[in-house]
Amino acid sequence: MDPRLTEVTQLFGRFKAAFVRSDFSSCDKLLSQLKVLLTKFPSLPPSFQESPNAIQELTIARDIYEHAVVLSVKTEDQDAFERDFFQLKPYYTDTSGIIPPSPQEYPILGLNLLRLLVQNRIAEFHTELELLPTSALENPCIKYAVELEQSFMEGAYNRVLSARQAVPHESYVYFMDLLAKTVRDEIAGCSEKAYDHLSIADAKKILMFSLDQDLATYISEERPEWEIRSGCVFFQKARESAPSKEIPSLQLINQTLSYARELERIV
Amino acid sequence: MTTDVPVLEDVEMKEPQAPPSNSATSAGPSTLQHLKEIVALIETGAYAKEIRRIVRAVRLTIVLRKKLTSGVISAFLGYALVPGSEVHSRLSSYLSKEDNHDMDVDTATSAAQAPAKHALPELEIYCYLLVLIFLIDKKRYEEAKACSSASIARLKILNRRTVDVLAARLYFYYSYSHELTNSLAEIRGNLLALHRLATLRRDELGQETLLNLLLRNYLHYNLYDQAEKLRSKAPRFEAHSNQQFCRYLFYHGKIMTIQLEYTDAKESLLQAARKAPLRAQGFRIQCNKWAIIVRLLLGEIPERTVFMQKGMKKALTPYFELTNAVRIGDLELFRAVADKYAGTFSQDRTHNLIVRLRHNVIRTGLRNISISYSRISLADVAKKLRLDSPNPVADAESIVAKAIRDGAIDATIDHAGGWMVSKETGDVYSTNEPQAAFNSRIAFCLNVHNEAVRALRFPPNSHKEKESSEKRRERQQQVEELAKHIAEEDDEEF
Repeated sequence: MDPRLTEVTQLFGRFKAAFVRSDFSSCDKLLSQLKVLLTKFPSLPPSFQESPNAIQELTIARDIYEHAVVLSVKTEDQDAFERDFFQLKPYYTDTSGIIPPSPQEYPILGLNLLRLLVQNRIAEFHTELELLPTSALENPCIKYAVELEQSFMEGAYNRVLSARQAVPHESYVYFMDLLAKTVRDEIAGCSEKAYDHLSIADAKKILMFSLDQDLATYISEERPEWEIRSGCVFFQKARESAPSKEIPSLQLINQTLSYARELERIV
Repeated sequence: MTTDVPVLEDVEMKEPQAPPSNSATSAGPSTLQHLKEIVALIETGAYAKEIRRIVRAVRLTIVLRKKLTSGVISAFLGYALVPGSEVHSRLSSYLSKEDNHDMDVDTATSAAQAPAKHALPELEIYCYLLVLIFLIDKKRYEEAKACSSASIARLKILNRRTVDVLAARLYFYYSYSHELTNSLAEIRGNLLALHRLATLRRDELGQETLLNLLLRNYLHYNLYDQAEKLRSKAPRFEAHSNQQFCRYLFYHGKIMTIQLEYTDAKESLLQAARKAPLRAQGFRIQCNKWAIIVRLLLGEIPERTVFMQKGMKKALTPYFELTNAVRIGDLELFRAVADKYAGTFSQDRTHNLIVRLRHNVIRTGLRNISISYSRISLADVAKKLRLDSPNPVADAESIVAKAIRDGAIDATIDHAGGWMVSKETGDVYSTNEPQAAFNSRIAFCLNVHNEAVRALRFPPNSHKEKESSEKRRERQQQVEELAKHIAEEDDEEF
């Protein structure tokens, strides 16, 4: 066996042991060592050189990056997640003819979709979604993310929140917690437009707070323009869209001048 | 998606329906005669450096397409190329399978007539093109692949502007033959190299063609991210070929749709559908399908005439029913249509877009409700929208709240009473809305006019061939100065 491969395998064994122990700082150190070692494998992307150990090398590299992604979720580091995911992605897209697909593939792709959703990068979400074959949409992990996006777009927020109970994979919980915060902000934004006022009890229920105190802190921190009086939350009504009395003269002049100039060119 | 290329190809065919009675023997000599005329055209074009003539030659070739037989071509190869040369023997090897022996006499005579003067690279490339078209028409795709790869290798060494037109066609068939054998991914690196080469040589037609081929290549594998990165970074210039421009618009529209830039997407797709020649039916249908979905996603309802266009009615039926469901805002009907045509939609690769539409259906339904009722309970809203979920009232409430925030409906919710109160619709003429609509229409008309004027201009240099380079430089300088002057004046006006 190739000595480099042995070294990586041993180091990866230690990494996994630390991972199981949830010793994340030593995981981090081992991971960066592993990544350096991986650069010496010739068969990995992007060169894909054919070597006798190609299959083992690719498999172990993919395994390492998969662990790296999960680790970044556990350490709640979104930037590391993005980096590791992009390093992992070529293994899913370009090695299909060389090594068998990984059982972790869809959970991790679903996790990435969820991340894009949390970060509100909907365009990238859909770009990633297009890359998946139709059969993948049936996978519980992918389906979960897709349905979340739909409920989110529709505004069925309580469906988003109740989905937290049905996570298909334990690592999804982290993003679901982040999503809950995003959802609360969305709900607050919608509520101030849709209601004149709400009783404190209702507001608590809608914004998912269990204590009056929490609600008050949230309002004072995030929505200082709301007002609490006589047991009700009043939303500011500064948005009255009265028909505009004012004529946007500057804009009109600009437009008319441009028509005149264009017409002059025609005649 | 796969249908649009051959159909768009038809555009160039002046006589697509060749008389079926044309047997090889009777058509042979006259076809050969035509081919010889084309050769003459290419020769004069190459010597006089007139690209126009070569464009014409290519167009004439496409007319002959249906009449080509292996006999005619091998006779022609004997005429145009030096017999015994490497190219000649290589190209002949593709034809040897079904050789028509009745042409042998002609081959011999023409070979004798033609001395070795025909060593023009243009002719050589033309022969490649001819054989390639023939192989594709005869469905010998593997051989076409080999032939096109050989021609591309040869093209890389040649650097002549008069070859560009032929090269662009060759690139197209190169990619097409790989698409037919389902091996597009293999040539991606090669296409990128060719695109770079074309850019270095300032071969704009080649760049245009190759950019489209690359986009097509990426989109074939749904690589929207890569496609958009390439598209946004590749140099853009005024379109040389209308067909390539149409394709570009179509691909651009598709990418924008996936990335949720619906307004841009709509513009591109509609323009592509409008610019595509009438003959390119398949391409126009594709454009229309995508344009319909994008308009639906934007919350517009396409007019009925869109679906009733000649020859498209059948292909657009699924989309028509879909539009109907969105227009009524009936989730149940929408679901039924989506299920009924699931096969068509996944074939068109629009399935994911249809999924996105669900939310528009709800919106339209909600808008209808808010127009018809001044006050309605949330339970009724849920019932009318046919939301099927464990907690319909709470869902309805948050959906309504979001619609209000997004400005889709003008209403308020009374949480304690559990109902939604619609506001009176204001007078639209008291706002600036009409002015904005007027402005966008005027801008569109003026843009159309300007583009029409630009299209009428003479191609550069076609009528001033005798002008010396010095004189030309002088003239260009004058024009530039004039333009600068005008621009300055324009600025001063403000």
